[in-house]
Amino acid sequence: MTTLNFPPVQEGDLFIEATGVASSVSVRFAGTADMRAHAPLESLLPALHAEVTRFEATEVVVDFRKLEFMNSSCFKVFLTWLAKVQELDAERRYKLKFLSNGTIHWQKRSLEALRCFATDLVTVEG
Amino acid sequence: MANPFFALNFRPNVALVSVVRRFVVEFFTQFLDDPDSTSRIALATHELLENGVKYASDEETNLSIEIRSDDTGRTVVIQTRNRAGTGNIAKLRELVDEMNQQDAMTFYQTLMRRSLGTPLGCSGLGIARIRTEGEMSVELNIDNDTVTIVATARA
Repeated sequence: MTTLNFPPVQEGDLFIEATGVASSVSVRFAGTADMRAHAPLESLLPALHAEVTRFEATEVVVDFRKLEFMNSSCFKVFLTWLAKVQELDAERRYKLKFLSNGTIHWQKRSLEALRCFATDLVTVEG
Repeated sequence: MANPFFALNFRPNVALVSVVRRFVVEFFTQFLDDPDSTSRIALATHELLENGVKYASDEETNLSIEIRSDDTGRTVVIQTRNRAGTGNIAKLRELVDEMNQQDAMTFYQTLMRRSLGTPLGCSGLGIARIRTEGEMSVELNIDNDTVTIVATARA
């Protein structure tokens, strides 16, 4: 059985943890994704994308429920990730389901913007 | 009761920006019964301060936030002021001019696509985010090398 190779990461105020089961990968983000997190995120998300592709996942659940804040630079890293997924051949393209926290108000607007950017890939829950 | 207001003059660094954002949330939670408005103010403040960290030529940024009340309701005015280089000022002016001529979400989506090919700090997404997600109008005042950004919204 294929195991997802993506150890937990703590970069400053940002924590990222990923697990893979069957054809689904879950990635949990917690803390704050501000300027300090940008450089690590720029290398981590492409690594995660490569690993998700290797894992042949059909869905990634991106859990933002404990993500206090994300700045526009980190938001751009997610845009780049979505663009990479869109570039995959159709049969390898995976969906992304974002789990949001209704009490963290920026998430509703930012995730809606991400959804509009990639309506073929992104759904938002919560 | 006087309009809630605070001003900060400091040399922001990356860690302090988040500290100020949390302070803004605490401060305005006291005056607004609307967590969504508080969140929008905090978002705009964070993005404006990060712009200060990136672009202020003498590392000093002035931030002020005021809630003005009148018969029609409340207006939040967030203002940052710092000195910047000529090239950065020109890029900012071009971005704000282009942004203010278009529908907020349409421009935001356009900028998202355009940002994929740009290096860190040059995309303008922060300013567009203030307008779209912050639901704020954004105006620019330039006096020689001093840039004042004013973000305004109903709260």
